Amino acid sequence: MRSSLVRQVLILLALALAPGVGEAVYFRHRISWQSAVLPSELVTVDQARTWGGNVIWVDARPDEEFASDHVPGALSLNEDRWNELLPQFLAVWSPGTKVVVYCSSLSCNTSREVARRLRREAQLPDVFVLEGGWEAWLKKNR
Amino acid sequence: MKTPIVAFALSIIISLSARAELKWEQTTVELHPTAADKQAVGHFKYQNPGKTPVHFKSVHASCGCTTAQTQKDEVPPGGTGEITATFNIGDRTGTQVKTVTVETDEATNQKTVLTLRTIIPEQLEINPRLVFWKQGDKPDPKAITVKVGKDFTVKHIKVTSSSPDFQTKVEEKGNGEFKIDVQPQETKNVIASTLTIQPEDSQKVFYATARITNSPVVQ
Repeated sequence: MRSSLVRQVLILLALALAPGVGEAVYFRHRISWQSAVLPSELVTVDQARTWGGNVIWVDARPDEEFASDHVPGALSLNEDRWNELLPQFLAVWSPGTKVVVYCSSLSCNTSREVARRLRREAQLPDVFVLEGGWEAWLKKNR
Repeated sequence: MKTPIVAFALSIIISLSARAELKWEQTTVELHPTAADKQAVGHFKYQNPGKTPVHFKSVHASCGCTTAQTQKDEVPPGGTGEITATFNIGDRTGTQVKTVTVETDEATNQKTVLTLRTIIPEQLEINPRLVFWKQGDKPDPKAITVKVGKDFTVKHIKVTSSSPDFQTKVEEKGNGEFKIDVQPQETKNVIASTLTIQPEDSQKVFYATARITNSPVVQ
């Protein structure tokens, strides 16, 4: 009786596992393996404040959102016009300056992507992603 | 002893088939736009195999660069349709994964996440995009490497500096690779130059930056 119960449980578990295994095999090349932002790359509004004037704020949101409102002194650098905006940013950046990139919310990958490209393409050190994005800055400053 | 298992499995199958929900042809679409394309458009087709209508409550994309549209708000029983997701490529490169979340009034599975995977070819990979010297540094040349993307053929590139204070020299390394040597005349003054990199027979222009910077700010 007991072994039968165990067998039934195992059969049910196997049945439950089968679709998952099937999907993992069938879609093995289609899974998004995007990793989360590393904690060391994230910075809070309060932490960024402690850096004083040694920070360049980078707004990774689309042009119209930047035009509507942005962190005072922030530069617009989005991927819609990356080739055009990057030289403008690099003309302002100085060695030793920290860069804080933000976009509109936590669910948006834009700031992470812009930060990644700044590190990879311009080989800039000290590029951070603002935790909570534009909304977090608004909450602390307005 | 096998009866309970069969009954359980049957009840699951029956309940799954009875519920009203959209059946998606595919929830992941992979697109391969050309370098000239400004947008990539994915079509997510669906069908309502149930016996009651399904209504869309919301359709929203994960980022501002993607828009999504439904053809209609209600899908009658047996009805078909599609959601169109348009991804604005801009200056993005590589593999871009954007999602569209569809919310319906289905009894179960009210939220469906549609994934648009776009593989954008990169004509030129320029590394680094910035070369700089600190004031007073020796004005030695610094190199920028340009690699041609695997789907492209570029035999020559033309590099021009916006400032005569920097000189550039292009060296063809073969196998679709170029080396640009950038050298300032001197490093006494803080100056900047935009280097325009243009592949032969291409309208697309790429940029890099050369600068003489202040000394680092020490905190």
